[in-house]
Amino acid sequence: MKDNSARQPASYGRRAASYWFCDGLPEIFFGTALVIIAALMFLWRLYARKPWVWFDWMIVAAGFILYYLMERRVLDFLKSHLTYPRTGYVQPPEEVPPRVQTITTLSLRPDPPAKENATSFQWRTVMLVFWFCFSFMLESNPLGRWVVPVVVPALAVALYAVNRRSEHPYRWWSALILALAGLVFAWVDAPANLQRPLPLFLAGAWLVAQGACTLVHYLRANPDPQAAEGARA
Amino acid sequence: MTQRAQEIAQLDRLIHEPARLTIMLILEGVSEADFLYLQREGGFTQGNLSGHLAKLEEAGYVEIEKKFKGKVPLTVCRLSGLGKAALSGYSQRMMGLLKSNAR
Repeated sequence: MKDNSARQPASYGRRAASYWFCDGLPEIFFGTALVIIAALMFLWRLYARKPWVWFDWMIVAAGFILYYLMERRVLDFLKSHLTYPRTGYVQPPEEVPPRVQTITTLSLRPDPPAKENATSFQWRTVMLVFWFCFSFMLESNPLGRWVVPVVVPALAVALYAVNRRSEHPYRWWSALILALAGLVFAWVDAPANLQRPLPLFLAGAWLVAQGACTLVHYLRANPDPQAAEGARA
Repeated sequence: MTQRAQEIAQLDRLIHEPARLTIMLILEGVSEADFLYLQREGGFTQGNLSGHLAKLEEAGYVEIEKKFKGKVPLTVCRLSGLGKAALSGYSQRMMGLLKSNAR
């Protein structure tokens, strides 16, 4: 028989941090932002007579800055209508940079309680997508048509590995789907205009699909209390 | 009365009760949470939770505020400074007792 006695239950702070992702809204919002950025890049390349590479970068940079500025406000608005009435409100997690411990303090005094209601979604997911896609948007990209089959599986592996022990891990089979979606383009030739926006588009669509599945599961498990009361009456 | 019995008797009984200890620990970890979240997280019934919260509020350990998120009214609870100090004192005393018992 398996001994679970040594297994520590997640602290209330960690549970609150993962509660932020229970409805899939953070992923849906970020995924939608990526899809919009990719669509704008594609349209720009499609209709511009001289596609100017700096404009691609400007679209991506502006899109990510807008996302950073609006994320909490939009999510709070959506959650106040969808999540808080169903399963309750808890202080949203603080966004923390990855911990780099350089100094070890030796002391007999007990540590202050660690801040555990914290998330690193923006560092572990948003920044990862940004750097993977942004670094392969150069005009003189040595990968050529192999950008999508190389970048997307690498991004899938990185997302899975980096988030494995976070408050919001991705399932291995879900990361595999993203990797396979990228590998398809080793055989299928994407149009030249689509080569650059495609990693962003695939990552965005994957995040939206994942968030949508979580949202559907959440809504089924937690029906609207007002509607339930109405039905009872 | 032995010294240990005296130490045990000095434990804060308001926090020592399991349901109230759960409420205090949840609030310590999350800064603030609403009634519904506390109810689900701690597995309380509505009446049970409001009873315990009233006691904690009366002692000044918990602050309760009614506020709106969008158009949704929320009863938000948070640990007061006094509550944080009380919980820290309680856990230190309890740890001390358990450690001395293990020796």
